[in-house]
Amino acid sequence: MLLCNGNLKMIEEKVSKKIVSRETLKKELQGVKEDLNDLEGYMRDLSLFLPLAVCTINPAGIIVNINKAFERMTGYQTLEIVGEPLEGIFFEKELLKKTIISIGQEERAHLREVALTTKKEEKIPVALSIAARKDDKGSLIGCFVALTDISSEKKLREGLEKEVEDRTGELQNSRRALMNILEDVEESRKRAEEERNKTLAIIKNFSDGLIVLDFEKKVSLANPQAEKFFNIASKDVVGKNIFDLTGVPTLVNLIDILKKEDKVFRRELVLDKNLTIEVSASSMILGSIALGTLIILHDITREKTIEAMKTEFVSLSAHQLRTPLAAIKWSLQMFLEGDMGEINEGQKDLIGKAYQSNERMIALINDLLDVTRIEEGKYLFKPTLSDFGSVINFVVNSHKEEAKRKNIKVVFKKPGDKFPKILIDVEKMRLVIQNLLENAIKYTLPGGQISISLKDYKKEILFEISDTGVGIPKDQQGRIFSKFFRGSNVIRMETEGSGLGVFLSKNIIDAHGGKIWFESEEKKGTAFYFTIPVKKEFEEFLKEF
Amino acid sequence: MKKKNNSNNKILLIEDEEIMLDLLQRKLAQEGYDISVARNGEEGLDMMKEFIPDLVLLDIIMPKKGGYEVMEEMSRDESLNKIPIIIISNSGQPVEIDRAQKLGAKDWLVKTDFNPQEVIAKVRKQLPL
Repeated sequence: MLLCNGNLKMIEEKVSKKIVSRETLKKELQGVKEDLNDLEGYMRDLSLFLPLAVCTINPAGIIVNINKAFERMTGYQTLEIVGEPLEGIFFEKELLKKTIISIGQEERAHLREVALTTKKEEKIPVALSIAARKDDKGSLIGCFVALTDISSEKKLREGLEKEVEDRTGELQNSRRALMNILEDVEESRKRAEEERNKTLAIIKNFSDGLIVLDFEKKVSLANPQAEKFFNIASKDVVGKNIFDLTGVPTLVNLIDILKKEDKVFRRELVLDKNLTIEVSASSMILGSIALGTLIILHDITREKTIEAMKTEFVSLSAHQLRTPLAAIKWSLQMFLEGDMGEINEGQKDLIGKAYQSNERMIALINDLLDVTRIEEGKYLFKPTLSDFGSVINFVVNSHKEEAKRKNIKVVFKKPGDKFPKILIDVEKMRLVIQNLLENAIKYTLPGGQISISLKDYKKEILFEISDTGVGIPKDQQGRIFSKFFRGSNVIRMETEGSGLGVFLSKNIIDAHGGKIWFESEEKKGTAFYFTIPVKKEFEEFLKEF
Repeated sequence: MKKKNNSNNKILLIEDEEIMLDLLQRKLAQEGYDISVARNGEEGLDMMKEFIPDLVLLDIIMPKKGGYEVMEEMSRDESLNKIPIIIISNSGQPVEIDRAQKLGAKDWLVKTDFNPQEVIAKVRKQLPL
């Protein structure tokens, strides 16, 4: 019994212990349940709060759960998406499948960028991270999937990339432009050098002599032709002031020319009996900066020789023509004077006309000879102190009849006794007045008028002859002082005329140190003017020669 | 035409141009002068060895001896250097006239600028009756 009692007690103790353990277990279970609920609530709250879109999928890739952020990102409600395959909402479906499959081994996977297709069919670039969920035995029970919207990042990245690309492009463009500029600069440098070499070659091989002076009149260049002309070596003159080179005999005459005038135009310089050059000098100006002086030396020996030959030929021909013309003149004169017997009126008239024609021929030959003498430098003149008014009067009187015949009034008021006498070659000056007056009579229509006047300007006298004639065509006025020039309008009205009168007149006035010019308007008239310096001024003028 | 009486005056005409020679000879003969002609300077100087003319009418450019040479030789010869000379030439530049005057020429006529009557007037001036 005792045993029984003892056993029962033992049993009772055991049962009591078991009851206690059961209660304990129950309590523990309850605790665990509460803990789980807390955990679940915690997880739910966390899931709700978490901005990261998260879902869980089972090993087959079917969405099991999503959080709020996932709903917001995809636009799907939990009920709409749970049970759907995860790859269904991605553009890269195959890639998703492969990645999910790989999770069995890899445990984690990360896709930097995949395109999520939202419920509204919008594509959002997302980064996708997958982590495997395993049970205690290590078997895969599912995956956590987290999605990060990278659209802003992508936009930023793309913006940056674009900017980098743009900047790179700009830099490349700048580099290219810089390279182009460098190439252009190099090209320009090469061209400039080529041009410089070319210019130097031209200067060196130029048939004209060139001397360049800087703004201080120092010789900066003398080309080989200039060296040859003046028998100098460039190295001996370069860097020296031209006016300090008077010790070089061949340069003396050139220096004299340059001293007198800054600008020289075609001045002849005889360097040797077989060498005549023409000197022209002009300022070299770049913008408003004076760089110096360029002296051009042109060999005109050949031209002078040809000119001399031509002049000689004309002179000789004219002389040869004078003999038969004189013979004709004398013969006709003797007929007219009855030295060869009586002639009737008709014969006399005809012979008289032949005589006049011959006289015109003689006048032409005389003009030609005068021209050749001017060109030969043999047109000598003897100045005497003369009353110019009387010279004009003489010529006017000798043309009175001719003017009267043409019904042209010639007006000349001789100046008083106080008018200064001037140094002139009377014979040559008569020729000038005669040429100008004859032209005026020839080219003024009947009823017209010719006025001649003289004015005293103290240092010079001014002669003026104006007519109411046909005038000189404007386009031909530049050639009026040229040899053989005749206006197209006057050729039509008067076929005769050598075109030498005005040329000769200009040369005579020039030789007297005067100036000649004209004003003319077609159909209205022409006025010729010339000045002659008074005695003192003329003597100064002569000293220059 | 009646011949004038100038026969006491002998004129030597030295001219190579036949027609001028002919015309002058006619004109001077009409005036009654005693004319001798030479066709170049050398011939003229030779003739002056035969007779002394009262006046020489002399061309400048001629074959053999020209007018200047004739004048130079005449100026060196005392029997000839007083004879008045009138130049009749195709030219008439001051420098030429000066030269001729220095060699004793009294006058210079440019053929184309004068006529025979004017030549006679110049001759008369040198050979007054």
